[in-house]
Amino acid sequence: MPATDFIELSLDHCIKCTICTAACPVSAVTDLFPGPKYVGPQAQRFRRDGEAPPDDTVDYCSGCRVCNEVCPTGVKIMEINTRAKARIVESRGVPLRSWLLGYQYLIGRLACGPLAGVANLFANLRWVRVLAEHLTGIAREAPLPSFSGYSFRSWARRHRDPHAAGATGRPKVVYFHGCATNYYEPRVGEAAVAVLEHNGFEVIIPEQGCCGLPLLSNGIFSHGRHHHQYNVAQLYSYAAQGIPIVGTSTSCTLTLKEEAPELLAMHDEQTRVVAEHTYDIFEFLRLLHERGRLNTRFRRIKRRLPYHAPCQQRAHRIGRPALDILELVPGLTMVESEAACCGLAGSYGYKVEKYRIAMDVGAELFDFIRASGSDLAVCDSEICRWQIDHGSEVYSVHPIELLREAYGLAPGA
Amino acid sequence: MRDTIVIGAGLAGLMGALALAEAGRRPLVLATGHGATHWSSGTIDVWGQAASGGPRAAVAAVIAGDPDHPYARTGVAGLEAACARFRQVMQAAAYPFVGDLHSDLMIPTALGAFRRAALVPRTMSAGALQAGDRVLIAGFRQLRDFYPPLMAQNLRSQGIAAHGVYLELPPVNRNLDFTTRSLAQCFDDGAFRAHVGAQLARLRGDASHIGLPAVLGMRHPLDVIAELERHSGGQVFEIATLPPSVPGMRIASILERAIVAAGGRIQIGSAVLRGVADGDRLTTVISEAAAREQQHRAVRCLLASGGIAGGGVRTDQTGAVWETALGLPLAAPASRRAWFASRSLDPRGHAIFRTGVLSDDRLRPLDQRGVVVYRNVTIAGGALAGADTIRERSRSGVALATGWAAGSRLAAIEA
Repeated sequence: MPATDFIELSLDHCIKCTICTAACPVSAVTDLFPGPKYVGPQAQRFRRDGEAPPDDTVDYCSGCRVCNEVCPTGVKIMEINTRAKARIVESRGVPLRSWLLGYQYLIGRLACGPLAGVANLFANLRWVRVLAEHLTGIAREAPLPSFSGYSFRSWARRHRDPHAAGATGRPKVVYFHGCATNYYEPRVGEAAVAVLEHNGFEVIIPEQGCCGLPLLSNGIFSHGRHHHQYNVAQLYSYAAQGIPIVGTSTSCTLTLKEEAPELLAMHDEQTRVVAEHTYDIFEFLRLLHERGRLNTRFRRIKRRLPYHAPCQQRAHRIGRPALDILELVPGLTMVESEAACCGLAGSYGYKVEKYRIAMDVGAELFDFIRASGSDLAVCDSEICRWQIDHGSEVYSVHPIELLREAYGLAPGA
Repeated sequence: MRDTIVIGAGLAGLMGALALAEAGRRPLVLATGHGATHWSSGTIDVWGQAASGGPRAAVAAVIAGDPDHPYARTGVAGLEAACARFRQVMQAAAYPFVGDLHSDLMIPTALGAFRRAALVPRTMSAGALQAGDRVLIAGFRQLRDFYPPLMAQNLRSQGIAAHGVYLELPPVNRNLDFTTRSLAQCFDDGAFRAHVGAQLARLRGDASHIGLPAVLGMRHPLDVIAELERHSGGQVFEIATLPPSVPGMRIASILERAIVAAGGRIQIGSAVLRGVADGDRLTTVISEAAAREQQHRAVRCLLASGGIAGGGVRTDQTGAVWETALGLPLAAPASRRAWFASRSLDPRGHAIFRTGVLSDDRLRPLDQRGVVVYRNVTIAGGALAGADTIRERSRSGVALATGWAAGSRLAAIEA
C-alpha cells in the first residue's frame, strides 16, 4: 500500500459511532447487509493479501456512498467496500452477469438505431425476461431503459450549431455524454448542447468510451482501468488546454473526477488533469452564474416539481447545483426529496437477489414523488430516473431538459 | 447564490442556521458529516450542578463568576430566547419538550443514575421518577449496551421499586443485528407495537411507570408511547441509549427540515478546508469535493464545527493544536505537558478540553491580543473557548444558546 493511499488510511479515523449504519438505506431494509461499519472499516482489518475474504456480505453494499456522506470523521467506507468486492471477484472469477452489466454499453451499441423498435419489443417480452433471469440472474422486473431509434452521436454529427455562423473565438467546452445518453436518452444530450450553445459555447464532442463505472462497481477493476485510460487519452488534450469537460450523467462525471482515479490508485498527471477539468453540467452552469456569465433570461414556468438528488450526484460534494440554477427560473418551485437513495444504485437493483432490496430502498422516494401529485419528477441520474419511472410510475427528466424549456429552446432544435 | 455559510451540522450549527434562515439569509450549512446530535442524549442540559433557582440561576452565577464563559456571551436572556424558539420548532413537529429554566428534571441514565436536564422530550419526561415510584425497566437482548436488570438494581439502591426485564423480540423479518435505528424502525410497525404492548401489560405487575430504551419510533414517538400506554396501562418513558441516538437524530432532522423550509440548504459530506480573507473580512469558504475544492463566497459565516470531541479542533503528537475549518487562533494550553491534569478524574478537568476560539461579546473571533479576526464571522458551540462543557454538563445548553445567538447576530451583518 503506498503511503498516499487515503482510502486505506482513512479507516483508522473510524470511531465506531455507527452513524453510517444508522443512515445506510440498504441495511435499513435487509439483514443481508449488516451495515457499512461492519463490512467497511471493521472487516477491512481482516482483509489481507493472500488470505480468503472474511465474509461475502460486502457484495450487498449498493455503493450509494450515503455512509461517506454522513461519516463525521471522513472514512471512505464505500471505496473500502468496492475494493473488497473486487478482491472477491479476483479470487473467484467474474460471473457472466457481471460481464453483462459491466459491458451493457455493447448491447446498447447493437440495439440502438433502426433496430431499436424490435429490440425494445423483444427485451420487454415476459418470456425473454424470465429466460434471461434464469440464464443470467438479471431480475425480470428491473427497469430496462428503451433503446433509442438513433444514437446521440449520430444526432451530433447532423447537428448544426445555430450560433456558429460568423461567431469567432467562442469559448469551448467538451461534452461527455456517457452511454445512457448515447444509446437510450439522446434527448438529454440534445438539451445539454442546446443550453451550452445558448450560453455562447462551442460544444466539442470527442470520441469517448464508457466511463467504466459499471465494471468498477462489479469488481472488474482491470477492465475498468482500460476504460478509464482510454477516456483520459481522449480527453487529456482538451483538459490540458483548460477546456472544461462537462457531463450530464452524474455517475460518469464522478468516475472521471474521482471514482476511477481513487479506486484504481491512478495518480498520474494526465488522469489528475482530466479529473480536475471535469464538471457536472449544473456545477459548470453555477460557476458561470457566479461569474455573471450565465444567460438568465428565463421564461416563466409555473410548476412545483419533486426533485431527487441522486447519490452519485451527492458524492460529488458540490451541494445542489441543479436546484441553485433552477431557482432562478421564475415561477418554478423545486421540492427536494429526503430519500437517501432510489435503490437501483447503478447495476445493483438489476440483480435478481437484490431487486426487492432496491425497491424497498426506493420506497421512500417513490412515496415522496407520488405524494407530490406531480406528473413529472426531476433527477440528474439516468439510472435513478428509470427507477423512479418504474417505482412511482411518474415520468422523470434530467434538470437540463427543464432548463432548456426555461430558455424557450424547442426540443430537436 | 448563497453567501451565508454555516460550518457544522450539530445543535449549534443547526440552531444558528435556523436563525439565519428565518432572517431571510438563505444559509448554506457545510459539514463533514452528521453532527454531535447523533451522539447525544437528545435532552437540553444547561448546567450539571444543582442551584437554588434552577438552571437559570446557575447560569446567572456562572456568568457573574466567569466573564469568559460562553454563557456570558448570550446572557440568560439569550439562553431563554434560544430555548423558547427550540421548543416552538420541536412542538410544531409534534415532538414537544417539557421543562423550563426554573428547575431541572432528574431523569435516569441507562445505568440508573439520575442526571439533571433542563428540557427533555416528552417521550422522556415520565422518567422523572420519585422515591416510592414503582417502575418496570424493559429492553431487548438484541440491543447491546442496555441492561434492564442492572439499571433496575441501581434504581432500587436509590429507593425506587424497580424491576428489570428483557422483552421477547416480536416477530420481525430481521434477525441479524440490531441498532437503535433498526429497532426504532420496528416500532413504526403496528403489529410490533401491539406485541410489545401485550408483553408490557403482562410484565407490568404493580409498576406505575415503564422505562424503555429511546427507540420508540423515528418520526411519531408520541403515538408509539400512547399506544404502548393503552396496551400496558403504565406511563411509558424513553431512556437515552448509547449512540447512535434516536432522540438526537429526531432533533437533527426536525431542525434540518425547518431550515430547508425557511430557505436554507444542508450540504453534508463537505468538510470545510479553509477560508480566504481580505483584511478583517472573510470572503471565501473552501470545502472538500471530488477532484476539486468547492469555493463559496461568504458575506457572513458562522463557525460551529465543534471542539476537540466534535472534530473542530485537532491536535497532534507535537502538541500543536489548531482549528480545522478557518484556521482561527485558539486559546489552548501552551504545551502538550499542560494538556492534562495529573489525575484523570481531577474535578477541575483537563485544560485541553477548554480549548477553543476566544470571542468578543458579539461572538466574533478574537486573536491573542483581543483583536477581532473577522468582523463577518461568529462562533458557536464547542468551537468556543472557555468551557469544558462535557464536565459542566452544559454541552447542549451552550450549543443551543450560542448557536441561536451567533446566528441571530450574524444575520444583522450586511454585505
